[in-house]
Amino acid sequence: MTSEAKTHAIDIASMQRGESNLNLADEQITLQVKDLRLSYGDKEALHGINMDIPKNRVTAFIGPSGCGKSTLLRCFNRMNDLVDSCNITGQLLLDGDNIYDRTVNVADLRRRVGMVFQKPNPFPKSIYENVAYGLRIQGINKKRVIDETVEWALRSAALWDEVKDRLHESALGMSGGQQQRLVIARTVAVKPEVLLLDEPASALDPISTLKIEELIHELKDDFTIVIVTHNMQQAARVSDYTAFMYMGDLIEFGATDALFTKPEKKQTEDYITGRYG
Amino acid sequence: MRYSVKEWTKSGSPWVWLNAGAVAISVIMVVGLLGLIAVRGLAHFWPADVMQATYTQGEQSRRILGELVQQEMVPAEQLRGAGVKVPEGVEAMRRDLLKVGNRDFGSADFVWAMDHLVTEKSYPEMIMAAERLEWGNFYGYLREIRESGETVARHEGYAKSDEYLAIWAEFQQRLDRVLEIRDQILEIEKHKIGSINYELERLRLKERSLELKQSTDAQAYADIEARRAELNADYEVLQQDLIDLYTQINRDSFVAEIADGREVEISIAKVVRAFLPNNMGTGGKLVHYGAKLWEFLSDEPREANTEGGIFPAIFGTVMMVILMSVLVTPFGVIAAVYLREYATQGFITRLIRIAVNNLAGVPSIVYGVFGLGFFVYFLGGSIDDLFFPEAKPSPTFGTGGLMWASITLALLTVPVVIVATEEGLARIPRSVREGSLALGATKFETLMKVVLPMASPAMMTGVILAIARAAGEVAPLMLVGVVKLAPSLPLDGNYPFLHLDQKFMHLGFHIYDVGFQSPNVEAARPLVYATAFLLVVVIALLNFSAIAIRNHLREKYKALEM
Repeated sequence: MTSEAKTHAIDIASMQRGESNLNLADEQITLQVKDLRLSYGDKEALHGINMDIPKNRVTAFIGPSGCGKSTLLRCFNRMNDLVDSCNITGQLLLDGDNIYDRTVNVADLRRRVGMVFQKPNPFPKSIYENVAYGLRIQGINKKRVIDETVEWALRSAALWDEVKDRLHESALGMSGGQQQRLVIARTVAVKPEVLLLDEPASALDPISTLKIEELIHELKDDFTIVIVTHNMQQAARVSDYTAFMYMGDLIEFGATDALFTKPEKKQTEDYITGRYG
Repeated sequence: MRYSVKEWTKSGSPWVWLNAGAVAISVIMVVGLLGLIAVRGLAHFWPADVMQATYTQGEQSRRILGELVQQEMVPAEQLRGAGVKVPEGVEAMRRDLLKVGNRDFGSADFVWAMDHLVTEKSYPEMIMAAERLEWGNFYGYLREIRESGETVARHEGYAKSDEYLAIWAEFQQRLDRVLEIRDQILEIEKHKIGSINYELERLRLKERSLELKQSTDAQAYADIEARRAELNADYEVLQQDLIDLYTQINRDSFVAEIADGREVEISIAKVVRAFLPNNMGTGGKLVHYGAKLWEFLSDEPREANTEGGIFPAIFGTVMMVILMSVLVTPFGVIAAVYLREYATQGFITRLIRIAVNNLAGVPSIVYGVFGLGFFVYFLGGSIDDLFFPEAKPSPTFGTGGLMWASITLALLTVPVVIVATEEGLARIPRSVREGSLALGATKFETLMKVVLPMASPAMMTGVILAIARAAGEVAPLMLVGVVKLAPSLPLDGNYPFLHLDQKFMHLGFHIYDVGFQSPNVEAARPLVYATAFLLVVVIALLNFSAIAIRNHLREKYKALEM
C-alpha cells in the first residue's frame, strides 16, 4: 500500500514553480467569505465557510466529489441564484461590499466576476461574436473598440495566432481545447476583476490542459483567479494558495507549497497522498 | 441452421418483420394514392382523340362524335333489368362512357353506350374540337366561316384536304383575333372599370360618413362630387370602348356540321380554344397539354368551376396559410417562452399546459363555429360599428373573410407551435444559458440573443406542423370566409392592396364544391382529381420551404448535439 500511496503524493519540489514563501497575511484581499452557509431545500451543502481570497493570485479548491467546492465557487458570482430551492446566509464581500446585498445588480456583479465552466460552452455564433458578446451586452457598439478588445482578449487567451484568419467562422468548428480557451477569452474580454474557473480542463486532453495551465499563469497578473479542480497535480502546478474542502467544510487553507508539503490536518494529508477512503 | 419458433420469437425477428411490413404497406398506400390522383388528374389535360361511330339503338342508328372517357363491365342481370337485350350465357358486357359535348344542341354532353352497339369506329382527322366559354366542348366538322353574316369561306367533305386545311387556317386566324380582343375587354372590365368601381364605392362611403357625421363642409361634398363626375366621365369613355370591342368580337362566326348532320352557327367570340385532336402529332399534343395545364394553374374558373383554371383557389390557399403562419408564430412563441422560462412551475402552469395540449384535439369545426360566433359576429360586428358605420347595413368585417379565416386557423394551430417551442426551449443546454449569464447578460438578454435563436429550429418545426394542419383544413373555413367563387383576389392593385375583409377561394373547398355541388358530375370528376393533386403539391411546397428554412437554422445552431 505504501508504494501505491507514493505515486499519488505530490512532489512539489520538482515542479518549476515561480514564487514560494507566500504568506496569506501579506496579501491584498479581493474576496472575503464570512460564515457562508448554503442549503438546497432542507439539505445544507456548505456549513459556514470563512476564507479570504488574495488579489492577483491563483487560489485552488480541491477536495473529493460532492465536497461543495463548485457550489462555493458558484456563490462568488451568484450563479446559485438560478437554483430555485437554494438558500444562502452569511456574507461574501467583494472589495468590501457584500454581493448578497439586495441593492446589488446581479448582471453587474457577473461582469466583475467572470466564470468559465467545466465543459466548453461557446455560443453558436462566430468566434468573433463569441468574444464580442459580453461587450455588446454592455452596449458597446463601436466596431473599432470591439475589434481591439476581441484581439486583446484572444491574445490573452493565447488563441489569436490560431484563429486570426477565421474569426468569422463558427466557434463550434474548433477543437475542445480551443473552445475552452475561447470561453476564457470571452470572459476576459469584459475585463472582470475575478476569474472563476470551474474544473476548466477536466474535459480536455493533456496537451490542451497544459495550454490552459500556462494560460492561468499568464492571466494571474491581471486577474484574481479561483480554480476548482479534482486534479491535485494541477492544483499544485498552477495555484499559489490551496483550499481543501470536505463534506461542505473548509478543512485547510494556505499557501500551496505548505499545504502539499506540510499539511496541518490529518484529513488533508490523507487526501493528497491518495490514502482517502 | 434450424431455429425453433420460440427462439425465432425471442430473437425479435417477428417484430422486425411486422414493423417492416407495416411500413412497406403504408408507403405503398401513400405512393398509390398520390399516383392515382396524379394520373387521373393530370391525364385530364391530354387532348383525347375524338371518335366517330355509328350507334344503333333498336331500329335506329345514328352517328356520334365524341371522346371515349371510360369503359366498364356491367353485370348482365343489371342490364336485363334495365331492358337491354343480353344474349344467354353472357355474364357481363362492356359499356362505354362517351363525351359527346354540344350540350346546347343535344340533351347531355356525356352518353353511356353499350360497346357492342357502337360500330364503324373511326378517327377522322378533320373532326374539330372547341372549348367554349359556355355550353362545354363542341365537336363537329367545320363547314363555313362568316363575317358579319356573310359567308367568306365554305368547304364540304370529311377527308383531309388542302382546302379543308386552308379554311381551318382561316378559322384559327380569326380565333386569334378574337382572343386578342377578348384580352382587351378583360383588361378594361376587370382592371380599369374594376378600379373605377372600387373608387366610386370608396367615394360613396366617404360621402356617407360625412352625412353620418352631419358635416356641413360643403367643400368636401363638392370635392367628392367633382371626383365622381371625373370617374363617371372616365367610365363613359371605357364603356364606349367596350361597346366597340364587343361589336368587333362578335363580327365572326363559323358554321359546323354536328353529329346528327345538322349545320349550326356559333359565334367565334364564344370559343376559347379550337383544335383538330386526331390530326395532332405527339408534339402538338404536348404543346396543347402544356397550354391546358398552364390555364388550369393560372386562369380563373369558368362554367360553375368545371372548366378553366383554379388560380384564385391556389392564391387564396397560399395567402391564408402565410397569414396564418405570420399570426401563429409570435403568439405561440411568446406563450411558450412565458410558460417555460418565466411562469412559476406549479399546479396552474401544469393545468394551462394540459389545456393547451387538449386544445390541439378539439374538432376543427368547433373552431369554425367559434370563429363565426366570436370573431365574425362579435369582433367583426363591433369593428363595423366603430370604424365602418358608413358601409352599413352591408358588413365589412362583420362577415367571413380572409382575416377571420386566418385567425381561426391560427387559433386552431397555436397549440402545436406552443408545444414544439416549449420542447425546443427545454433542449437548450443549461451550460449555454449559464455561459451567457456569467458574462453579465440578464435573463431577457440571454433569451433574446442565445436561447431563442438556438430554439428557432424547434419553432420552425412547430410552424411546419401548423402549416400541414391548416392548409388541409376545410370545415372551419366554410363558416368563416371561403366561397365557391370570389369575384376578385384578396391581393390586387387597389389601395390598400391586401383586402383582409374579402372572401376568398380555397383548394380544399374547391374540391368539395366541384366534386359534390357541381351540376355536371362527369365533367367535374377529373378536375376533382387534378385539384386534389394540386392541393397536395401546394401543401408539400409550403412544407418543403418551411423545412428548408428549419434545416438552414439547424445547421447554424447545431450546438444542440453537444
